[in-house]
Amino acid sequence: MISAVRTPDSVAAAVGHAAAGGWLMAGGTVVMPQVNSGSARSPELVSLRRAGIGGIGLDGAVARVGATTTLAEVEESAELAFLRGAVRTVASPTIRTLATVGGNLFVAQPYGDLAVCLLALDATVEIAGQQSPREAPVGAVLAGGVVPGEVVTAVRLAVPAPGTWFYHKAMRRKLNSAAIVAVAAVVETAGGVVTSARIALGGVAPRPVRAASAETVLIGRPLESDVLEEAGRAARADIAPFDDAYASAWYRDRVLPVHLRRAFLG
Amino acid sequence: MASSVVNLRVNERSREFLAAPGTTLLSSLRDALGLTAAKRGCAQGGCGTCTVLLDGRPVMACLVAVETVGGASVRTLEGVARDGELDEVQSAFLEGFATQCGFCTPGMIMAAEALLDRNPDPTRDEVVEAISGNVCRCTGYGPIVDAILDAAARRRS
Repeated sequence: MISAVRTPDSVAAAVGHAAAGGWLMAGGTVVMPQVNSGSARSPELVSLRRAGIGGIGLDGAVARVGATTTLAEVEESAELAFLRGAVRTVASPTIRTLATVGGNLFVAQPYGDLAVCLLALDATVEIAGQQSPREAPVGAVLAGGVVPGEVVTAVRLAVPAPGTWFYHKAMRRKLNSAAIVAVAAVVETAGGVVTSARIALGGVAPRPVRAASAETVLIGRPLESDVLEEAGRAARADIAPFDDAYASAWYRDRVLPVHLRRAFLG
Repeated sequence: MASSVVNLRVNERSREFLAAPGTTLLSSLRDALGLTAAKRGCAQGGCGTCTVLLDGRPVMACLVAVETVGGASVRTLEGVARDGELDEVQSAFLEGFATQCGFCTPGMIMAAEALLDRNPDPTRDEVVEAISGNVCRCTGYGPIVDAILDAAARRRS
């Protein structure tokens, strides 16, 4: 049973409620199903809807995305147009009007495709708490969460140069299905060979993971089918796949090289 | 904590009601306001039959804690017909046999209204995407997609 729903109108007030044991909720797409089924982890909910931490800003090539910005707002933003294809693979339009960027960092795999993108983008997470505000690499937040009482307020990311962003998600249906394998990458080339690569994978581990082994394979080589297949096989060292209703761990491992290749070559 | 007073503008009427902590927008519409078009299906955001427009955008009403949206504008299926006349989407559903058992219909129509409000001339793929969060176990979806395209054409003409 829920005993209180707080709707703080400032980050400081939200931090106070969270530090007192309230369960933070942004869009509600993960929290409310648990409320509805009677399995909420705290009797007190703290909604961030009125905390004033939504919206997208662009400063040069660096975008700052407020934590309560919805996925629909990302989908519609000119500043983050490169993410439109990825966001449209997430759930349905009726979920994307609620689900938020900040919330996506705390969604269990195989959900959280935007978090996979943010890992590939090496985003920085802005975090408020009872101490001074701090920043953390998105990888650290995905791996370890935040301290109870802290509130993610924004993420910052460098908008990739044209032609350097890649995303592909394999799912059981064309729309509104969770990841079997999701691949997000920022890869730069010069003279026909890869000069830098950041590749993140979803659906193949308990949290989004960097495919460091695949990145190593690509450096200095062209983005061609056999190279990408080799990188995909190497990426098997970086994953810890699981069985769920969408696919088996065996299947995820098996098809990873195919989907890594498709992320770049279609 | 005690129930709180919530104000919403529902189908262009100001409504005020009491909500116990954690009450969903869906429960408020159905139980406090007697607007039973939006259905309670899965209560998990997976079926779409509770779809309503919240400040003009389609949402799963079962996922919205109503105390967090005080002052918002809500549109439900009850607010679609004008002066007793079905609108284009409703007429197209009826004439195109796009309803069978009818349980998904309120959510389907609201998802369609949200689409056509923003995109008066959608492609078939755009219609399919717009209703991708709405489950129908009767029709196979074809007649629903056809009806929404038909409604868009009627509204444009």
